[in-house]
Amino acid sequence: MTTVKVESAMQKQTSPYKWGMVIDLDRCTGCGACVVACQAENNVPICEKHEIAEGRDMHWLRIERFWVGEYPDVRVRFLPVLCQHCHDAPCEPVCPVYASYHNPDGLNGQVYNRCVGTRYCGNNCPYAVRVFNFYRHEWPKPLDNQLSPDITVRSRGVMEKCTFCIQRIRRAKEDAKGEGRMIRDGEVQPACAQTCPTDALVFGNMADPDSRVARLARSPRRFQFLEHLGTHPSVHYLKGGGREHA
Amino acid sequence: MKRRTFLQLGAMTAATAVLDGCRPANEKLIPYLVPPDEGVTPGKANYYASACRFCPAGCGILVRVSEGRAKKIEGNPDHPVNRGKLCARGQSILQELYHPDRVPQPLKRSGPQGSGKFTPISWEEGLAILTEQLKTLQREQATDWLALVTPQLRGTLAEVAASFMRSFGSPHHVSFDLLSPDWLKLANSRSFGNQSLPWYDLAETRYLISFGADFVESHLSPVHYGHAFGQMRQGRDTVRGHFTYVGGRMSLTAASADRWLPARPGSEGALALGMARLLLADSLYDNAAFAANGLRPETLLKALERYDLPMVAQLSGLSQDVIVEVAREFATTRPAVAMAGETVAFQTNGAESVRAIQLLNLLSGSLNRPGGVYPDGGAMAGPENSFGDLLSLVEVMRRDRIRVALIHGDPVHAIPQTTGFREALARVPFIVSFSTILDDTAMQADLVLPDHACLESWGDVVPLSSGRDKAIGLMQPVVTPVFDTRQFPDVLLATAKRLGSRMAAPFPHESYLEMLKGTMAKRLGARSGFDSETTWVDLLRRGGLFETSREQGKGYRWVAAATVPAPAEPRFAGDEKEFPLHLQVYTSPAFHDGRGAPLPWLQQLPDPMSTVVWDSWVEINPKTAAGLGIKFGDLVEVTSPPGSIRLPAVIYPGIRPDMVAIPLGQGHQGGGRYAMGRGVNPLDLVAVKIDGEQPQPAWNATRVRVTRISEKGKLVTVGHPEGSFRSELIEI
Repeated sequence: MTTVKVESAMQKQTSPYKWGMVIDLDRCTGCGACVVACQAENNVPICEKHEIAEGRDMHWLRIERFWVGEYPDVRVRFLPVLCQHCHDAPCEPVCPVYASYHNPDGLNGQVYNRCVGTRYCGNNCPYAVRVFNFYRHEWPKPLDNQLSPDITVRSRGVMEKCTFCIQRIRRAKEDAKGEGRMIRDGEVQPACAQTCPTDALVFGNMADPDSRVARLARSPRRFQFLEHLGTHPSVHYLKGGGREHA
Repeated sequence: MKRRTFLQLGAMTAATAVLDGCRPANEKLIPYLVPPDEGVTPGKANYYASACRFCPAGCGILVRVSEGRAKKIEGNPDHPVNRGKLCARGQSILQELYHPDRVPQPLKRSGPQGSGKFTPISWEEGLAILTEQLKTLQREQATDWLALVTPQLRGTLAEVAASFMRSFGSPHHVSFDLLSPDWLKLANSRSFGNQSLPWYDLAETRYLISFGADFVESHLSPVHYGHAFGQMRQGRDTVRGHFTYVGGRMSLTAASADRWLPARPGSEGALALGMARLLLADSLYDNAAFAANGLRPETLLKALERYDLPMVAQLSGLSQDVIVEVAREFATTRPAVAMAGETVAFQTNGAESVRAIQLLNLLSGSLNRPGGVYPDGGAMAGPENSFGDLLSLVEVMRRDRIRVALIHGDPVHAIPQTTGFREALARVPFIVSFSTILDDTAMQADLVLPDHACLESWGDVVPLSSGRDKAIGLMQPVVTPVFDTRQFPDVLLATAKRLGSRMAAPFPHESYLEMLKGTMAKRLGARSGFDSETTWVDLLRRGGLFETSREQGKGYRWVAAATVPAPAEPRFAGDEKEFPLHLQVYTSPAFHDGRGAPLPWLQQLPDPMSTVVWDSWVEINPKTAAGLGIKFGDLVEVTSPPGSIRLPAVIYPGIRPDMVAIPLGQGHQGGGRYAMGRGVNPLDLVAVKIDGEQPQPAWNATRVRVTRISEKGKLVTVGHPEGSFRSELIEI
């Protein structure tokens, strides 16, 4: 009986989906809509000033800002950074309790109720996108009404991170299954991509060569964040073009 | 358990363990402990269409509601303004609804004025107090002793407010917003005889030059133009639109530009005219456009003779080569469009500078053309000088000619001190606030009659810039009210009823909702038969009335009587020796004019340029800062002729050395736990009366000096203070 269970789980290791994202830096204006969308969708706690001063900001998605050059030939570059969902993820093998794992769709999952808070994964992540609940966060009433029932509220001592809005993927899968089809391109979007005013963030199935995200990832402008580390991220960036005049 | 069963199970487990030994640990362990996809079972949620009234852009929203509680706000894909997209502020109005410090029910002042001490009362009592105050005015034949101060309202709400004041018999209704585009209406009516706001076709343009128009942060319709900007950059296969930004500070919008021209503040209009002159001299203008607008290039060139290249270069502080290059690019790339924004407008020569920039659109043939500029489809008449109205009201209040002031919004925070509004308001014996939270204005009030939050309200939201099509968003309550609050227009209606039949005559409707239905029916009825209930439900379901007719409205045409734009020399408050630096106040993408400050998501949102959280800061050029001995995060004092504030310094590479900039929005005395006492309000520095000028909304025409106080600025940034130097690693 148990053997059967293992086999069915084994079969689930292959999936027709490989979720990925393309971020077009030529479109990104750095406006921050994605940051709030992510926080709203995923019950990410509100961090007070002193927490952020300690480097304990909990945003799953941040926008890195780079200054290049000096006045008046100065430029700014923005880089939205979220979990890169690496296929060779440095965070996964170091977890002593298998809280961080790779799911068949290519996502780096995080099992909150298994996490014991060693923070090894966070230390090992070159992108610094894993955030740890150093404090117990509260949502003063009635602010707690905004908490989404689809996702757990993580307690103190737990590591958390971007999930590509797995609850949305799950919902789309159920809908698709009910109709006996695959998820259509563009049907499921994480909160950040959904709200991005400039359409800089595009999400989809990399395993489908015709999906918008796969087509964009073949752009000559494509690069990956810290590509030389060999983590094979699921997130691809497209270089900002032009700007030759500084 | 029987012994036999136990042994059977034991054997099975052992066998499994042996079998599993050959497999990687990952596959062995995880299936047991992790149900597929973390056992997430998404609940069934309802989506309600509504509209956002946080800023005047008026985007359409969809609110996800489960178990009767609003959970998440998304853009309405059918709404022509935002097309399913939404900014940081729009998503945060959820926290307006569930803010822990909302005013739960009507309040009556119990301590001295401004003490913030209130006693909760019932609506019956609250309305009775208000009615009594108004009845006293009526009895004493002093109905013009009533004032109503609101933001610039549109749609049905504007009608209610106007009718209320008209039938009560008071002319003192001021609708004022710090950032309202009065300046644009004024410039348009001077140049085109048509005050309708412009709609820029960014998506189709190939060359955009923005003179201080920060469309990513706040200019007209940030989400709409953000979307169009994405299209302009990468939405076309072979064309990538080019973007040049003119302005002394590199704003968030400027950060996306290909070229940044840090022109001296107040010189932008002259720069535009200098470019126009170059275009005319080199015959790079659009001939047809001149014919269509009844202008002659030779006459115009003659009129612009003064703006020759050396003079313009000297005024703007830019190099001649760059000006020539940009002018040529602008003229030879079609379609090209020029935008004028707040940074330019809020100078003493603002109106004429804006007209000068519009002239560039005429010259390049971009008026009423794809990729150019059109009058907005939802054109509405509106005030061109609400600041003047505000100053007259201040004068009336100062002469003690106002006994009751009804205030919606937070003008005490969002109006510069130097207008005298705060002091004049303190003389008003009875102040009523309709704020949802005890903001700076509500703290001064005698009576607080809390309005519904946006997500609990009915209403029509007329967007400021909806494109060439007309769109009217419809706001509906998506949850039952959290507290015992009432909608502002309903309170006005109820008060009118209590004041007697003469006062109630303009309001035959039972409630604001009925009135709204009437307005919408009228808007529809003119075109088609109206089957009220189903049509109404259909409107609500779609989120409003979106007209997609493609008929070309009347476009912009230069008025024969319009003068050639002639921006005067800019004037600044404060002597250059004593106050060597220009001050620029600007909107951060989080707070707008300050209304976003009470919401914690926005407080925690790192400012994109400085990455500062939960605070105010002043941006200083690295060289200037070094000269003053100021380091990143130091506490400094910024002093202007009318005032001084202390705040931490941010060393900012993207600002002119003779300029400092402070974001608007912080420095609330009230506003709930997240805003109160946080940061400073730069409007305290802004002078309104500048020597030799009429009082005008020239928020960027003040000079300041900066002195270092200590190293304890308590500044918190998310990013590295100096910016990252690893940009080559990410190939940008």
